[in-house]
Amino acid sequence: MAWTVGVDVGGTFTDFHARDDATGREVVFKRPSTPTDPGEAILSGLKALSAAHDVPLEAVTRVAHGTTVATNALIQRRGARIAAVATQGFRDLLEIGRQVRPHMYDLNLDKPEPLAGPALRFEVAERLDYRGEPVTPLTDAEAARAAAEIAASGAEAVAICFLFAYLNPAHEQKLAAAIRERAPDMRISLASDVQPEFREYERFQTTAINAYLQPLTAGYVERLAVGLREIAPMATLGVNQSSGGLMSPVRTSAYPVRTALSGPAAGAVGAAHIARRAGRPNVATLDMGGTSADVALITDGLTEIAFQRAVAGFPIRLAMVDIDTVGAGGGSIAWFDRDGLMKVGPRSAGAEPGPACYGQGGTEPTVTDANLVLGRLAETGLLDGAMPLRRDLAAAAIRPLAERVGVSLEAAALGLLAIAVANMTRSVRRMSVERGRDPRDFALMAFGGAGPLHARDVAAELGMADVLVPPAPGIVCAEGLLVSDQKEDFVASQRLPLAEASLEAARAAVAGLTADAAAWFAAEDLPDAGRTLELALDLRYVGQNFELITPVAAGPAIGPADLPGVDALAALFFAAHDRAYGFHDPAAAIEIVNFRMTARGRLYRASDPPAAPDAAATPVSVGHRPVWFTPSGPVEAPVYRREALSPGLTFEGPAIVDQLDATTPVFPGDRVEVRADGSLLITLGGGGA
Amino acid sequence: MSGFDAIGLEILSNALKSINDECFVALMKASYSTNIKERHDHSTAIMNRDGRLIAQADMSLPIHVASMSGLMQCVRAKYGDDIHAGDLFVANDPHVAGGTHLPDVNFAAPVFVDGRLIAFVCNIAHHADIGGMAAGSMSGGMTEIYQEGLRIPATRIGKRGEIDQEILDIFLLNARAPKERRGDYYAQIAAARLGERRVTELGRRYGAEGVGAGFQELLARSAARIADALKIVPDGVYRFRDMMDDDGVATQDIVFEVAVEAKAGRLTFDFAGTAPQTAGNINLTLNATRSAVIYALKALLDPYAPNTQAVIDCVEIEAPSGSIANALFPASVAGRAHTCQRVIDVVMGALAPALPDRVPAAPNGANTMAVFSGTDPRNGEAYVYLETIGGGSGGRPSKPGKDGVQTGITNTSNLPVEAIETEYPLMVLEYGLAPGSGGAGLHPGGRGIRRVVRPVGHRCTFNGVGERFRHAPWGLNGGAPGGPGRFAMRSANGDETPLPGKTGDLVVPEGGAVLVDSPGAGGWGKPAGGAEG
Repeated sequence: MAWTVGVDVGGTFTDFHARDDATGREVVFKRPSTPTDPGEAILSGLKALSAAHDVPLEAVTRVAHGTTVATNALIQRRGARIAAVATQGFRDLLEIGRQVRPHMYDLNLDKPEPLAGPALRFEVAERLDYRGEPVTPLTDAEAARAAAEIAASGAEAVAICFLFAYLNPAHEQKLAAAIRERAPDMRISLASDVQPEFREYERFQTTAINAYLQPLTAGYVERLAVGLREIAPMATLGVNQSSGGLMSPVRTSAYPVRTALSGPAAGAVGAAHIARRAGRPNVATLDMGGTSADVALITDGLTEIAFQRAVAGFPIRLAMVDIDTVGAGGGSIAWFDRDGLMKVGPRSAGAEPGPACYGQGGTEPTVTDANLVLGRLAETGLLDGAMPLRRDLAAAAIRPLAERVGVSLEAAALGLLAIAVANMTRSVRRMSVERGRDPRDFALMAFGGAGPLHARDVAAELGMADVLVPPAPGIVCAEGLLVSDQKEDFVASQRLPLAEASLEAARAAVAGLTADAAAWFAAEDLPDAGRTLELALDLRYVGQNFELITPVAAGPAIGPADLPGVDALAALFFAAHDRAYGFHDPAAAIEIVNFRMTARGRLYRASDPPAAPDAAATPVSVGHRPVWFTPSGPVEAPVYRREALSPGLTFEGPAIVDQLDATTPVFPGDRVEVRADGSLLITLGGGGA
Repeated sequence: MSGFDAIGLEILSNALKSINDECFVALMKASYSTNIKERHDHSTAIMNRDGRLIAQADMSLPIHVASMSGLMQCVRAKYGDDIHAGDLFVANDPHVAGGTHLPDVNFAAPVFVDGRLIAFVCNIAHHADIGGMAAGSMSGGMTEIYQEGLRIPATRIGKRGEIDQEILDIFLLNARAPKERRGDYYAQIAAARLGERRVTELGRRYGAEGVGAGFQELLARSAARIADALKIVPDGVYRFRDMMDDDGVATQDIVFEVAVEAKAGRLTFDFAGTAPQTAGNINLTLNATRSAVIYALKALLDPYAPNTQAVIDCVEIEAPSGSIANALFPASVAGRAHTCQRVIDVVMGALAPALPDRVPAAPNGANTMAVFSGTDPRNGEAYVYLETIGGGSGGRPSKPGKDGVQTGITNTSNLPVEAIETEYPLMVLEYGLAPGSGGAGLHPGGRGIRRVVRPVGHRCTFNGVGERFRHAPWGLNGGAPGGPGRFAMRSANGDETPLPGKTGDLVVPEGGAVLVDSPGAGGWGKPAGGAEG
């Protein structure tokens, strides 16, 4: 036996997905989260899981963890007191940013306060030019002076970002050494380590966030690793990165900014895995929880990656799974704007008090209340009746909407859902149409507690032919963690014209990255068999201010010889430019801006496919309930238990599929096929749109 | 009863936003100009069959919205019912076609369903060049519109689905870098056609009548919403006077005066007393003045109100014919952005006594522009580096102003120092907040931005356009004025020589540097203790 456990910590629940690599046996488990110390629920949950499902903890070899510790610390501004150190003349870089304000018209909405206040922003007399060559060398005396001031400043962590140090880290490293001499315990983040890329503000900000998160995240991960060692001595801990892929506790402590989107990224990785397994490698994901919905695109079984995104109002420039978040969840509240138009979200009733139907004091109308009024959710509620829902309270919350609009209770509830669906539809359009993809080429994969309730309406709105509901929609994130690779991204920023004369320098850059990757494979002790490398170049037309990341080679080993020639690179760039912008200019000069290497060590071993199903002729319903699919009136729909639907089974709507943590309404005329992996593939019919 | 309730209307409105955003992104991606691609100096909108604005893309710019609406009025007046499926209209002229300056080129496509005109899809984009006497079509020193570039009246460039290449050839012959401009024009045409397809789909779904009724209902609700907002202003007459430094050519101390009369929710803005139009290029057409007034009102009263024709038309604006706020042919207008900022300042200043808990002190009130040009010694090629620099935002009734940020009608980003130094033979010696430039106050004003730039290995030319160099951003409610902007030449030994607020073609020697301080902003309220800033 060799068990692997994926653990995803959410706001309400901590989800576990355990798998025995030897037998393929899988176990899923849920515990309430412990927000003050999320590690508590992980450790106690592992023990409870072990006891309840006969999973010996000494046989657990890996624990893969998705965390929101960093995200929450940033949102709640609970990070460390940091010093920020810049080149002389540039101490205000973090304050000025890109000099833009967050909203054109709102005079009171401000960009967030810088993470380092004026008293903790330092300048150092040093300067490199645009080639990385010293114009003003950093003297020993200046390094000593600055280090002494920083050490005495009372900061718990320090971020150092010098102009052009991504080309030459010597000055940053020299100052770091001087600080370490005087303050051995201070955590130091160098921009040339955290994000060695062109563009000083984004690099500095990313580095400052790293420093800000370091003491807290490092403390958390180190505590968790120790706790884990006590109960599961054979287990190694991996923490999920925002770009998908795990990193070790040591690297997590050094680069906590890489976990800013750890949780949602796990969902996208899990969805990609399920999409491949279900034989539908092109899906748009709709991960809908209590407060928001995350949308991502998976193409050919792979998640798409973005290289910059705002978290808590700060830009972070690092590889992250490309996810669009919209304020539409089960708890989203309906309200009327000043012009009388009805809106849904982004304000949410959250878990406390929750939707009105929870009976915890909430009175405002939410998406969940509307689903209950329409019979799409049952009064027995979620978690097999452990959390009953009150239809009378839901109706009381929706009724004022109906009265104000002048329609029936059910019409108001359908309207509320239609608005939430319109918001999610816009999000899917942003991720597909606005990126040059046609949503009709994708299936919509619905997960999260509320995703399956709404996916059908979103799909119909976008002309998508079918909806895929995973076997366990509530724990896709934990499943994503289970199948994640160990992963590291390396970058070398070097601007070169795309020309024969540059190839020598380009090959040298690739050789450097290959060496970095080899060192990392060795340090992480990853088996040879599962090692892969991917090389990509950031290319652009000379004069453009943005780059296209162009994959150029992938395989078990990549060296300088694998770098394609100039013409081949240009052709790859043209294709990328066509996809992104609809055209390319074959005559314009191209330049290389960055070299990127991604190293992966495969940890997950796919087991044999599940045994061939006994195709049951017809599903057996456990009851009926009236469900409003359309405004024309309720339809008696049979209710099926998800676990009773075995692979190979097909049936038509109207129907309701209930399971522990999700409900899937099947519209009249829609057709359901239970796939070999247990997913439901719902093909949209004519009715109900 | 239109058939649209509060739910149906929200869903229609969401669909319109989605179309506008898709067109906005499509235009951005397919264009060639840095202005459009990276600085997003473009906008998209949907008008009803009468050319009245129904919805715009989230990222649309206030001044563009007025231009698009202006073009529609001209198209309706010129072509009446002679508008057919597949037509495409284009215009840019501020004096005869509703525009605000020539580089902003407008396109509008009518949408037909079942043979009936139901809507227009519009987009506007700032081209990097539209011809005229100077590259970029934006330089100072131009004194009439003919010098500023090609003037395009409302013109039918597309007939029944076909683009009139001969008209497009005239446009391209009149622009520098015609190949790039062709890309921009095609991007605009493609975005218009995309919008036309999407609105047609919408029209098929709702029917021509349904769409028309939905649009009417959206306008009615928007009108009611903005009318409610206007009622916040107590009855009275509120006056304010401010001055611009100069027009860079002939005139100094250019007076702006406004009297705002509020009476039972109706607002009139009278600019009587405002200076005559100038020879320099800072004039506003009435459309540009309106967009600045509406900007200020929305910011003060209802920042999240969607822009519609009802919002654009919600107040009366009077400005003397031939004044800088209502300039007549052949006034030059390319540098209108500075003047729009000043209109916002006088409107806010006037309303301060009426809305004491909403109005901030004066922001930097400029669109500070610094242009460095020369020949790159590394490759012998000519270069031009242009930047507009933010400044302070005014101290607010509830909190201090912000340091180093764009305000008012503009919100464009800076260029990274590492990008400047890599692409141009320039070195940035200092980039930070201008010391002491935030006006003292209970809530101090924000500080301006300092940028010090030195040519490397050659001598370069500096052109600067600044405002509020002599008339500092005012404080409010006892707050002190913010620091004025300034330009200076810094010699190799560190001596500084002041430069004028409109500096033209100054040679910067090797070893010398130019210092640019954008203005700070006024403070709000009497300082509690010692001065700040």
